[in-house]
Amino acid sequence: MSDAMLNEKVEATKGKMVMNQIPADIVGESPLHHADLETLASRGQGQGGVHLKEKSLQGLLILRAKPDEVQLAEIESVLGVALPTTPLTSEEKAGEKGDISVRWVSPDEWFIVVPATVAFQLESDFQTSVSGHYSLVNVSSGYTILQLSGDNVVDVLKKSTPIDVHPSVFPIGKVVSSVFAKSGAMMLRRTGDNAFELIIRRSFADYIWLWLQDASMEYGLVIEA
Amino acid sequence: MAQQTHKETRRLSTGGRIDRSKPITFTFNDKQYKGYEGDTLASALLANGVDIIGRSFKYSRPRGIVAAGAEEPNAIMQLGATEATQIPNVRATQQALYDGLVCKVTNGWPNVENDLMSWVGKLGGKMMPPGFYYKTFMYPKSMWETYESYIRKAAGLGRSPKENDPDRYDNMNQHCDVLVVGGGPAGLMAALTAARGGARVILADEQNEFGGSLLSSKESIGNKPATEWVDDVVKELARFDNVQLLTHATVNGYHDHNFLTIHQHLTDQSFDKAPNGQICQRLHRVRAKWVVLATGAHERPLVYGNNDVPGCMVANAVSTYIQRYGVVPGKDLVLMTTNDNAYRAALDWHDAGHNVVAIVDTRKNPKGTLVEAARERGMTVMLGSGVVDVQGSKRVTGVSIAKLNEAGDQVEGAVIEVKADTVASSGGWSPVIHLSCHTGSRPVWNDEVVGFLPGPSQQQQLTAGAINGAYSTAAALEQGINVGQSALEKLAMKMADVSVPETETLTEAEPMALFHIPHPKPTHKAPKQFVDLQNDVTAAGIELACREGFESIEHVKRYTAMGFGTDQGKLGNINGMAIAAKYLKQSIPETGTTIFRPNYTPVTFGAIAGRDCGELFDPKRYTAMHQWHMEHGAKFEDVGQWKRPWYYPKAGETMQEALNRECLATRESVGILDASTLGKIDIQGKDAREFLGRVYTNAWAKLAVGKCRYGLMCGEDGMVFDDGVTSCLAENHFLMTTTTGGAAHVLSWLELYHQTEWPELEVYFTSVTDHWATMTISGPNSRRLLETLTDGDVSKESMSFMDWKAMTVAGVPARVFRISFTGELSFEINVQANYGMHVWKALFEQGKQFNLTPYGTETMHILRAEKGFIIAGQDTDGSVHPFDLGMPWAVSMQKPFSFIGKRGMQREDCVRKDRKQLVGLKTTDPSVVLPEGAQGVFDPKASIPMPMVGHVSSSYWSANLGRSVAMGFVKGGHDKMGQKVYYPLVDGRVVEAEICSPVFLDPKGERQNV
Repeated sequence: MSDAMLNEKVEATKGKMVMNQIPADIVGESPLHHADLETLASRGQGQGGVHLKEKSLQGLLILRAKPDEVQLAEIESVLGVALPTTPLTSEEKAGEKGDISVRWVSPDEWFIVVPATVAFQLESDFQTSVSGHYSLVNVSSGYTILQLSGDNVVDVLKKSTPIDVHPSVFPIGKVVSSVFAKSGAMMLRRTGDNAFELIIRRSFADYIWLWLQDASMEYGLVIEA
Repeated sequence: MAQQTHKETRRLSTGGRIDRSKPITFTFNDKQYKGYEGDTLASALLANGVDIIGRSFKYSRPRGIVAAGAEEPNAIMQLGATEATQIPNVRATQQALYDGLVCKVTNGWPNVENDLMSWVGKLGGKMMPPGFYYKTFMYPKSMWETYESYIRKAAGLGRSPKENDPDRYDNMNQHCDVLVVGGGPAGLMAALTAARGGARVILADEQNEFGGSLLSSKESIGNKPATEWVDDVVKELARFDNVQLLTHATVNGYHDHNFLTIHQHLTDQSFDKAPNGQICQRLHRVRAKWVVLATGAHERPLVYGNNDVPGCMVANAVSTYIQRYGVVPGKDLVLMTTNDNAYRAALDWHDAGHNVVAIVDTRKNPKGTLVEAARERGMTVMLGSGVVDVQGSKRVTGVSIAKLNEAGDQVEGAVIEVKADTVASSGGWSPVIHLSCHTGSRPVWNDEVVGFLPGPSQQQQLTAGAINGAYSTAAALEQGINVGQSALEKLAMKMADVSVPETETLTEAEPMALFHIPHPKPTHKAPKQFVDLQNDVTAAGIELACREGFESIEHVKRYTAMGFGTDQGKLGNINGMAIAAKYLKQSIPETGTTIFRPNYTPVTFGAIAGRDCGELFDPKRYTAMHQWHMEHGAKFEDVGQWKRPWYYPKAGETMQEALNRECLATRESVGILDASTLGKIDIQGKDAREFLGRVYTNAWAKLAVGKCRYGLMCGEDGMVFDDGVTSCLAENHFLMTTTTGGAAHVLSWLELYHQTEWPELEVYFTSVTDHWATMTISGPNSRRLLETLTDGDVSKESMSFMDWKAMTVAGVPARVFRISFTGELSFEINVQANYGMHVWKALFEQGKQFNLTPYGTETMHILRAEKGFIIAGQDTDGSVHPFDLGMPWAVSMQKPFSFIGKRGMQREDCVRKDRKQLVGLKTTDPSVVLPEGAQGVFDPKASIPMPMVGHVSSSYWSANLGRSVAMGFVKGGHDKMGQKVYYPLVDGRVVEAEICSPVFLDPKGERQNV
C-alpha cells in the first residue's frame, strides 16, 4: 500500500481519519497465539464438560453515538442490521460480506463484530453515509473472542462472574459487560442453550486463558480449533 | 506412630447410618483407630472409647466430646497427614471420616493425657481469673511479649501449615429465588414447596446428608419411617432442574442485600489431598431473592458442678450417636433434664441395651408421652432434682444428685451419689438465630419457648421450624410449607400443591426454665460450673464479672471471653445470660442479649481466596511482543498489572552492565523499546479540540493535523497526575497517550468530566491501548533503520520532530509518530497488535546492521533522566504543579475557557517562592549515585531534627555522561542554581550535590532535531 493511498484516507471526510490497518498478505497473531490452541485441539482431548474455541482475528469496532431517528436509519443502512437500542441486547445477521453482530454495551456504546476485512469497509461507509456526531473506532487487535460451550459452561461462568446467566434472565442474544475473574470490561453473550461468547481484552487474554483452564479442570476442558 | 489399631469398644453391632461394609482406618494423636464410612471423626472417636480429645483453654482440664454438630465446643482438631495439608480448627463432629485421615488435638501441651499446664487448673484457677488478660497482662507492658507466646501455645487452637496448600479451592456465584438454610423437616418442606411452585431453589445443609433431626429419630412421617420420607423428598427435589442441593455446606454469613456465603466442604471430606483437578472446598456467594432460615435449634446443656468432665454431654447428642452412628458413648447413664424431649436420650440408651442409672428431672410433676415411655421401661425417674456435681477427672465416675426447691435455685435435702460414666443434660433448646442476627436483627426473648427467637426481619427473610421455637416435627413441616408458599407469593408465583404429611402426636409437659443447677455451696465456692467450655467461662466467673460492675451482658462477655472464638456462644451464651440475670436479679431480656456475627463456623482462608492465588492472584497483562522478550532473556518489571521488560542482560552481565550497554547503544546507534503499555485513547468529535484544551494545561486550539503535542493533566487542585503526547489525526480526531499506570484513570477522568460537567461538547472517547502495539526506535540510526522497512518519506524535510504520518512498516499499515522520550531522533511505530510481533521481528532483521539493541524500562528511565524529562508518578506525587516542575511552557493561562487545575495552581500556597521545586542534582563526586528518596538539607551540621528541604525523585548512573545524574525537589530550588544541597544518608555519609538544570545532556535539543 502506498503512502499516498494511506494519506488519502487520512484526509477523509468529517475531519476524521480512517485507514486500512490490515496488511494484505501477512497473517496476524491473535492474543492467544502463544497458547497454540490449534495444537492443543489437534491432540483431541475428547470428553469434557467445557469446550473452548478462540474466534480469532475478527473485525471488531466500537461505535459510540446517541442516534436520533435519522442517524439510526443511516447506521442501520450501513450495518445491514438495526442498532439494538434495548439495553443488554444484541442483533446479528448473515450478510454477503459475512456475518455481522452488534452488541449493546452502554446507552451510547455498541460493539460490532464483522470479518476482519470488513472493518475498514465499515469505517469508510460510516464516513460517507452516517451524519451527525458519532465515533467508530477499529479495535480489532484490542480484543479477542472466546466461544465457551458444554454441559458445565454455566458452572465455569458462575466461578468467573457475578452475573446471573440462568436462561430465565439471560436468554439467547443477551449481552452484558461486567467483571470476569479479576479482569474487567468483558462482554458475555449467550449464543445457545449451553453456549456463550466472551469478548476479552488482548492484554488480559493470557490471564483469562489460565483462569478458564483452572476453573474448568474439574469438568474437563476441550479445546476446539 | 503406633502400629496397632485400637478395637472399637462402644459400637453397637447393628443400627446407625454407617456402612459397616466399608471400614476405615484413621490416626488420632499418632494412634491408629478404626471406623466406618458414614462416621464423623467424633462418632468414630467415641466408638473407640476415646474420652479425652483435648485440654481446656485456660485451666487445662481434660475435655471430651459434648455435642454432635456445629455447636461442639471441645473437639477442635488439627487435621492433615502432611505439613502442606494441615487444617486447623476442624470440628470432629463436622468432619466426615475418611481412610487415612490424620488428626491431632489442638489443645494440650505437651499431651492430653498428662498435661504440664494442668497445675494451673489444679490451683483452682486462681492464677487465671476472668479478666485475666485485661488485669494481668496489660501491666507490666514489657512482659506481654513473654506471656504472649506462652499463652498462645497454651491456648493452642490449631496452627496454619508452613507449606503451600496443594489443594484447589473455589468460589462460585449463585443466584436463586429461594435459598433454604437447613435441610431438616422445615427446610425440606420449604424447599419442596418452593420447587413445586417453580422457583429456583438452593437447599444447603451443613451435614453430609439432608434430614436434620430426622436422621436420628425413630418417628414416622407420612406413615413411613422419617428417614425414608427424607429420601423421597430429596429424590423429588433432585429431579427439578432449578433446584441445587448442597450438602456439607454451611451457610456462614448473611450479609446486606440478601447476599449470603456458603462454605461447602467437598473432597476434604474424603481425602487428605484432593485427586488432581478436584475442588477441596467451595465458597458459594449467593444472591437470593428470598431466604428461608430453617436452621433448627441447639440443645442447651445445664450448668452444674464439674460439668466439663469427659462423659458429660448434651442429651440430644447421645441420641444422635446411638441412632445415627450406632455408638453408645458409655455404659451407665444419668440423664438430667428440664423437659420431655430429652427423655429420648434415655430411651435410646435403654433400647440399645445399656443401663440408665437415673433420669433426673428438675420438674416436680412431668407428664408426657416420653415420660410415660421411660416409666414403662422401668427406669428410675427422680423428680424435682438436679445433678449438682460429678466425680472423676478423665471420665465421669459418679454423679451427685440432690433435690431442688420449687424455683430450682437452691438445693434442698441431702446429696446422694450414684455410679455412672455418662451424664446427659438438657436445659431445653436454643433456636439457631445466628444468621438472622447477622442482618442486624436483634433477637427477642420468648418465655414460652425459653429462648431467643429471631427479631423482625431486616431483609427478605422467612423462618420456619425450630428456629421459631416450633420444636415438634408436625409444626416444623407445616411452617416449612407456609414459608415456601409465602416465598412463592412474594415472588408472584403460583401456590404449590403441597400438604402436611401425617405425623405422630406426642403429648408434652411444660418445660422448666432452668439453666444453672445450684450446688449446696455458693457458686464461687462450689466446684467449677462451666458455661462456655471452649473459653473456660464458669458460672462463678460470670458472677465475679457482675460483682465487679460489668452489668451489661456485652461487657460480661468481653470480661469473661464468653462466646468468643470459633464457638460463638452456641451452647453457653443463653446460660451465661441467665446466670448474669439471676445474679443481678433481673430477667433475661432485661440483661440483654449478645448478637452473633459472621461467620457461623470457621471458614478456611483457602475457601475465601478461591482460585485468586498463585499464578491467578492478580492478572498479568502482556504486550503482543512478550514472547520475544522472554526468549531474549528480559527481566520484567511490574507496571500496574503489566509485565514490562526491565532490561535485557546478556550472559554474565550485571544489571548495571546491561543498562550501560543499552544506554550507550541507543545514543550511539539505535535502541528499541516496547511501549505498547502506554495508555491510548481515541478521541473523536467536533469539540474534541476544545475538550483537550480543558483537560490539559496547555493550548490545543491550533494543533495542526499531522502534529503531536505534549500535555500535562492536573486535578482540580492544580497538581499534575498524568502526562503524555496527543496527536491530531484529523481535524476532529485525536489520539491521546497516557502513562501506563494512569490509562484507566485518565479514561474515567475524561468520561467523568464529559458526562457531568460538559455534556454539551460533542466528543467520544474509546480506549485503544490494547489495539495498537507500540515500538519506539530511538537513536541516531533510527531513521536509517526505519527507511529500510517503510514506504513512507521519513526524511527530516518531510517529517519533522513532533510530526506523525501514516505509512507501512514491514508491510503493515502503521501510524508513525516522531516523538522522543530519550532526546534522540525517535520514531514511535504503531501497528495493530496482531501484527506487532511481525513488525518487531522485521525491525530486528534489518536492525542487525545498526546493532539494534532492545532496552527496557530502566534504560528508558535513565535516558529520559539525562534529558530531565519527568515521569508522572515518580517525579510527581500529587503535590506538584507544573510550575514546581519548572514547566511553565506547558501551561497556557490565556485559553478562553478555563482548564482543570487553573485555579488550584494559583492558590496562595501554590505561588509561594519556597515551594519544593524540581531541579537537577549534580553530585560533587560524580561517581556517587544518590539514593532515590534521600532527603536534602541546606546545612549538614544543623542540629537534629534537621530542616529537610526536599527529596531525590530520580537518580541513576549515566554511562553516556560518565557520571551520576539526579533530579529532586529542593525548597525554592529554581532560584538556587549553583548552590549546594546535602544528603545525609543512613550509613552516615553526607553526599554533597550542586543544584542545576535537570537537563544534563544536549540542552539545546540538537540530537532529536536531526
